[in-house]
Formats: sequence, C-alpha cells, structure tokens
Amino acid sequence: MRRGIIALLALALIAAAVVAASAQGRTKATTVSLAGWSGGTDEDALLKQVIATFEKTHPSIKVNYSVINGDYATAMTARFAAHNPPDVFYVDSSLASTWATQGVLQPLDSYIKSSKYDTSKFFPSLLNTFKVNGQTYGFPKDWSPLAMEINTGMLGSVHAKVPTNWSTLTSVATAIKNAGLVKGGAPICLSPDWARMLAFIFQNKGSLADVQSPAVVQAVNYYVGLLKNGLAETPTQLGVDWCGTALGKQKSAIIFEGNWLLPSMKTTYPQTRYGVFPMVSQKTGGNLAFTVSYSMAKDAKNKQAAWTLLSWLTSQAGQKLWVSKGLALPSRSDVKAIGGREAFLKAAPWAHGWGFKNFSNTYTVMNNDLSGVIAGSKSVQQMLSDVAAQLNQ
Amino acid sequence: MTAVANTALPGRPRGELWRKAALYGLLVAISLLFFVPFLWSISTSFKTLPDTAYFSLLPHHWTTGAWSTVWSKYDFALYIRNSFFLAAVITASNVFLGALGGYAFARLRFPGRELLFFLVLGTLMIPDQLRLIPVYVMLTNWHLIGGFWGYIAINLVTAANLFLMRQFFLTIPKDYEEAARLDNAGPFKTFWRVMLPLAGPALAAVTILQFQGTWNDFFWPLIIFGQGNTSHYTVQLGLAMFSTQFLTLWPQLMAGSLIAIAPVLLVFLVFQRYFIAGVAAVGIKG
Amino acid sequence: MAVASDTHFQPAAWRRALTPARLREAGWGYLFVALPMAVFGVFFLYPFVYGVYISFFDWGIFGKQGSVGWGNYGTLWHDPAFHIALKNIGEYTVVVVPLEMALGLSMALIVNQKIRGQKFFRAAFYFPSLASSVAITTIAIYILNSDGLLNKVLGTHRSWFGEARTAIWSIVGLNAWTTAGTVMLMYLAALQAISTDVYEAAALDGTSAWRTFWRITFPLLRPAHFLVGVLFGIGALKLFDQAFIVSGGQGGPDYSTYTPVLYIYLKAFHSLQLGVAAAAGVVLFAVIFVLTLLFRVTVGRAEIQ
Repeated sequence: MRRGIIALLALALIAAAVVAASAQGRTKATTVSLAGWSGGTDEDALLKQVIATFEKTHPSIKVNYSVINGDYATAMTARFAAHNPPDVFYVDSSLASTWATQGVLQPLDSYIKSSKYDTSKFFPSLLNTFKVNGQTYGFPKDWSPLAMEINTGMLGSVHAKVPTNWSTLTSVATAIKNAGLVKGGAPICLSPDWARMLAFIFQNKGSLADVQSPAVVQAVNYYVGLLKNGLAETPTQLGVDWCGTALGKQKSAIIFEGNWLLPSMKTTYPQTRYGVFPMVSQKTGGNLAFTVSYSMAKDAKNKQAAWTLLSWLTSQAGQKLWVSKGLALPSRSDVKAIGGREAFLKAAPWAHGWGFKNFSNTYTVMNNDLSGVIAGSKSVQQMLSDVAAQLNQ
Repeated sequence: MTAVANTALPGRPRGELWRKAALYGLLVAISLLFFVPFLWSISTSFKTLPDTAYFSLLPHHWTTGAWSTVWSKYDFALYIRNSFFLAAVITASNVFLGALGGYAFARLRFPGRELLFFLVLGTLMIPDQLRLIPVYVMLTNWHLIGGFWGYIAINLVTAANLFLMRQFFLTIPKDYEEAARLDNAGPFKTFWRVMLPLAGPALAAVTILQFQGTWNDFFWPLIIFGQGNTSHYTVQLGLAMFSTQFLTLWPQLMAGSLIAIAPVLLVFLVFQRYFIAGVAAVGIKG
Repeated sequence: MAVASDTHFQPAAWRRALTPARLREAGWGYLFVALPMAVFGVFFLYPFVYGVYISFFDWGIFGKQGSVGWGNYGTLWHDPAFHIALKNIGEYTVVVVPLEMALGLSMALIVNQKIRGQKFFRAAFYFPSLASSVAITTIAIYILNSDGLLNKVLGTHRSWFGEARTAIWSIVGLNAWTTAGTVMLMYLAALQAISTDVYEAAALDGTSAWRTFWRITFPLLRPAHFLVGVLFGIGALKLFDQAFIVSGGQGGPDYSTYTPVLYIYLKAFHSLQLGVAAAAGVVLFAVIFVLTLLFRVTVGRAEIQ
C-alpha cells in the first residue's frame, strides 16, 4: 500500500511537470476578453466566425472568447467580486437592472456620445430593458418574443383556423381534444411559469405596476383555467422537460415558445410538422421580449478597445452576421431577419422586456405560488399579493 | 480470511439451501435495480438523437456516431488526461495528509487536540456556496485562477478523509504502538512503519472516495479554471457541453458519461481488494 | 527517553507531567496536523469568519453598502421561505440519513460474507455512487418521468419530481440509492477491523447470528456509526445539487424542494444580497453544529476506549 502511495505521488509529480512544460505564453496585443454562455455548437461556431471577421477589420485588437458552461450568474458574480471580470459579456435582461444597480456594469453613455454611436435603430423596448435610471448599460444583441406554434397536421384534422384570441384558442383546443388527437397528452402545453403567463396578463391590459388588479386576476384565471379544465397540461404532467419536447413528441398541438424552438425541433424532432403563428391577443397584443445584451464590465481592463468590440458586435454590420443563420432575431430595425420569422417580428410593438424589480426574489415567489395555485393549494389572490409584496421591496 | 458475520442459522440442509437461494435471489434483484438505469444509458449512447425522443430499451438503428463525435469533435482524450492528473494528485495528497493528520488526532497527545478536531469537523458544516466568493477572491489575488494549482490547493486534504482515517485509527488496538514505543520508534516511524500498513482498508476507502470525488467534481473546477479555453477542461466540464438550455445531445451525453465512469470504476475494482488484504494484518495477535 | 504510555488521556495529568517526551510528542502532533489545519483555516474557517462579518451588513458584490446590525437575521426571521427551507431540510434529513445508514450497513454485511460473486456484488452495489450527481440526477429525472420507466413498472402516471407531494421524497430515494454504496464502503472498512476472535468466542458460546450482530457487531461499529452519521447527516442538511436540478433552481413545485443552501445560493448569486446569504449560512451552520454536537454526545462518546 505504501509503495502504491509513493507510486501515485511520483506519477503525480511527473504529470505536473508535463502539464507545466506544455503551458503556453501569451502575446502582448490589445486583448479584449469576451464571455458568454453556450447556445449550442452551431451558435458557438457562428460567434467565432463573427469574432474572426471583427479581428480582420480591426487588426489592433485581439478577442479572447471563452464560453462559460454551467451556472453563468454564479461564475460572473464570483468574477465581479474578485474584480477580474471579462471585458465584454452577455447580460440577460432579467439580471440587467440588478447588475447595473450593483455597479458592476460600465455605463456606456459617455462612449456613445464621444463616438457618436447611433442607437436609434435598436427597437426601443429592447434598448430600454438595458437602461437603468436613464443610463445605458448595454445594447441588445438579439431577442425573441413568444409565438404560437401549432402542429399543422392536427390543426388540419379539425378544420380549424389559426386561433387569434382567447376564445378561438379555447375552441380550437376543445376541438382537438374532442377529436382525440392528443391521446396521453393535452391540446395545449403551458409552462407553470410567469415567463409565459405574463404575456397573457399583458394581453388583458394588466401590468406588474398594479398586479392585484381585476385585469391581472382575469388573465391568471384564464391561464390556470386552461390547465384546470384539461385543455392544457404542464410539461411535467406531460412527462417532458419543456413544451418544445411536447410539441415534438406530438403530446401537444399548441405551444408558446420563442425563436429558440426552431433549431431544437429541426435537430431533435425533424418529423413533426408545425407552423409558427403570431401570439394570440385579447384586449391588446401582449408579449415578452427575451433579450440579451453585450455589456462592458466596470472593471474592464481595456475600456476603449472593449467599447470598439461591443459597439461593432451590435452594429448593423456585426448583427447582420450574427442573425444570418436564423439562430437569433435582430434587435435592430435596419437588419433583416432570415425568412420564416415574421410571426416573431410582428410582436415587436407589444413585447415587454422580460425583467422587473427585485427579479430573483419575485420570480421565485411567482413560480412557487403559481404551482400552488395550479395544484389548488393556493388562491390567485394570495399569489398576487405575495408577488406585489416582493415587487414593492 | 475476512471477518465473517455468521448469518446462517444452524438448520437442516434443505432449509439452508432455500435460504441461500433466497439470499442470492435478493442480491441479484438488488444488483439489477442498481444497474438498470446504466443499461439504459448504454443503449441510448448507440442511438441517434431523434431516436431518443421515444422511450425504447434498444436502439432502432445501432450507431456509433455519438461515440465517435465524443472522441473527435469534443476532445475527450484531453479532458480525461486532465481529470486523471487532478484526481491522482489530489488523491495522493489526501491519502498522505489525511492519514498523517488522522493518526495525530487519534493517537498523539497535544494541547487543544479536541478543539482543533472539532474545528476540522466544523469545516464540513460550511456550504460551498457560502465559501465561494471569499475563496475565489483569494485565489484571484494569488494568481491561482485559470490553472489547476488553485484547485489543487483548496483540495489538498478534506475534513471527511481526515475524519475517516481518525475513526479507523481509533479502532486499532494500542498494543501495536506499545510495541513500537518499546522499540524506541518516534511518532513518524510508528506512523510509517506500523500504523499505515494496518490501515489498508481505510486507505483504500479514502483512495476510492477521493479519486471519485475529484473526478466527479463539477462546481469548483467550473469556477476556478472552467471559464476560458477548453484546454483545462475536465471530463465533467466536457460533459456539460452536451446539454444546453433547449437542446440535450442525449447519445453523446450518455456516451461521455460512460467514458467518465470507466476510470472511477477501475480505481474501485483495483483498490477494493485491499479491504481483504488489510484484514490479514489486523487479525494477527500481537 | 521514551516512557510507557498510560491507557487514558487525562489532560490535567498530562499538563502536570510536562516531560521532554511529552513535549516532543506534542510537537510531532502539531507538525502532523499543520498542513491540514492550514488548508482548513485558509479555505474554510477564514471564509466562514468573513461570512459572519458580512452578515451584519448590507453587502453587495463590491462590498459594504450599509450597516444593518441584526437586520439580515431579522429578514430571515420574517421570511416564510427560509422557514419552509428549514422545515424541508429537517424532514429530509431525518428520513434520508437512517435510510442510508441502514441500507449501507445491510449491504456491507451481505457483501462481507463468504459468498460466490462477492466481488461482483460489491461492485454492483457501489455502482450508483460512481457517477457524478449531475449525471445521475439527469438519468433519474428521465426514469421518474410521468411516462418513464418507474411509472411503467408501477402502472401509475405520476410526475414524481414535478408534484409538491412527492418531489422531496423522490430526492430521498435518489440520494439513498446513490450514497448507500459509499456508506457500504465505510462500514466494510470498519467491519474488517473487527477481530475474528470476537466472532469465534460468540460462536463457541452458541450465540445466534442475529444476536451476534446486535450485541457484538453493532456496538463495535460505533466509530463507524459516528463517522457515517456525521458525514451524511451534514451532507443531507446541505442538500443542493439535486434540488437545484430537479426544480430548475427555484425550489418548487410550491417550495417543496426549497432548501437552506438553495436559499443561500439564490440570495448570493441572483438577488445579490450577500449579507442576507451570509446570515442564512451562519444560521445553517449553527443548526448543523448543534445537531452534530447532540449526535456526538449520544453516539460518539464511547469511541475513545
């Protein structure tokens, strides 16, 4: 046993020497570090291409791109605390105001002014998601709202027109259910998540500013009602991890997801034929904008170079490359999306940025209470008052 | 041989046979229960991605596509080398320091021993999430981020291993140390020549557990050196690449997971026999 | 000159006899534990003390944002989510730890027999412990799906991880399955250390197997019980990984998988209230500390013999 330990130690020392010897040195150019999470191998490869184009047109700047797998928020928080963040990085709209108020993001207004950067082409609702107290903390790099995706085969079988509002949604779902097209499933897949239900709240002219109003109650009752009367089921009830899988496995005919659904369906469920239609509306259009910005760290080492990278990535030239494969939708009105995305783009005027005050605490309360409401152990009023309490903190 | 707990009650030969059959039946049933999920993993690794959509025990078309992408497109050979390096270094360090410290806490007398030991136990009670930021800031300030050495430094020895060794040393009869003392052996000699050889089973347990713990660690490697180019990636960090938010590459994930399990299984199979070998020494009368 | 040792370590007597031999022994003792204590001190105790410090402030990513005295602890006191977390973890621990110990000990006893295929069964029982918690939880989620393997076998249609009533108990089952092998290892190591004389004597006396186990083996395993109970009890109280993966980081459905460490995690890394997170960490530490102390007093006392 002792000899085994000595052998292990020796092996370890040898291995250490090998690793140390193979470590490579760094060249001294203006290096800007860029970090984000992985959107899958296709997205990562595309981003590398975009970066290569940037480096060609800006030969004095080298970009050091790294993917942060796993828990992005935790990894970034640790790096912020150690004053060692990446120079440019992704910021999800839900985290934007928290990080801005903590002071880890660099306000960009002075750079905008000095380089006369034109921000007018960004969709206002998206740009405003990254403005806190009148200061700009990032530019949206892309976005997606929710759309309605329907299994075209099933829709055709019941000879129905695409639903446009809540009552037609209900009637189409009922028809699908009565025709027995989704055995072992449900016509609609609804996530027990305010990141979906909030869209319906907006459609009923409700808002988070007055979350206990009758308009909100009505919307919640409609959403939960679909689940309670069997026209809809949650992903866990259907035995899937998210509604995209439900659509793919044909356990549901109607789901509400964003642009991220399309690559996933193509790779995993190529057989399922579905159509992408605009989100339903009620008293008005209502939708959520899930968007991510490129932002700069307050502790960034080369701020001018970082600004050059950041502004180029979200410029018309940079964004055109990024959306060219249809993996993301442009956040600028002067960049065209590839074909087949009209249903998403139509939602722009009614899309509210996904994020709100005291986001993490509120969101946790929102979804835990919602699952209680769906299970029948909590009342809608109770949930809304809990949410109001968190929003007002 | 082994310390056998006699569970066979004296009875007629036929009763004995039924009992044995029942025992074996139970064992096989439990083994199956423990194994079935992995059989499914193996089968999934030979499927194509669309084939994983619906539950089926066997692939409809057997394909090694997942296995080949894991080796070629994702540099798993490198990740395995990295994981192995870390696991070997940290296991060796834990075995040595854990045994040394465990022996000291069990058998050497020094003031404050019990208090220090309770502090050691105390470290177990601190959740990682609480430690993360101070440790990360420290490592950043000491330039130990981004490479392996910061991770190795914080894992040189863990309280669990030290605790295990201490508990084991407590069970060894004092006769052995008495003999060593009469031979004028100092504490280190006693430790190295007498106690370590007796501690076979515990050392084997620490080896298996620490190797596995380091091999399967995801959180700390991610934070300390897992952000950046993939040259430092361990097997677990590599596996994480197969599941993004909306798309999980199930066949590759299963293939990768099976590759990940193989070395820890090997370490277990190699070191488990020390459970038996170590006993021969303990059973000897002084 | 070396002196024959006494059989009981009496601190007062020790101090009185401050011989060079004793000093030397103490010196060696400190030397042996120096490096471990340094690691523990720097990477565990210092962060903990730091945590205690910041728990009295409104602390952001970049440091102090204001002094709140006991305010963060007050927040915990009034936060129903924290209370639920404590209740959840209490129920979870009280069930999972005895379960793991019983399973592990049973498997160790079985595998310790002179039976054919002993090595195979040992490996088979240990197998679930080999995989990483992320991998195994992913597999478990798939199996416990509402139309997955378990439901097909049982003939039900339950979403085990997705229903508030069953979520935490499914985690109990999952963790018992994956840790029983490790408990088995520890008990195996301890069983090997029990001299065969003891069993021979019992056999000579005609003691039945059951009695041999309860009257002789079980008590002799005290140090192992203490080890296993403390290690896995503390591990249970710190439950995070499985709860996080299964609930998507929210502790649902309906707070059923909400644990104290999840609370700390969310407060520290998502709402960035590091002072509150630290206070929660201190409270959790205190809970674990008290429980471990109680356990030591009841089970651990007889270990020094």
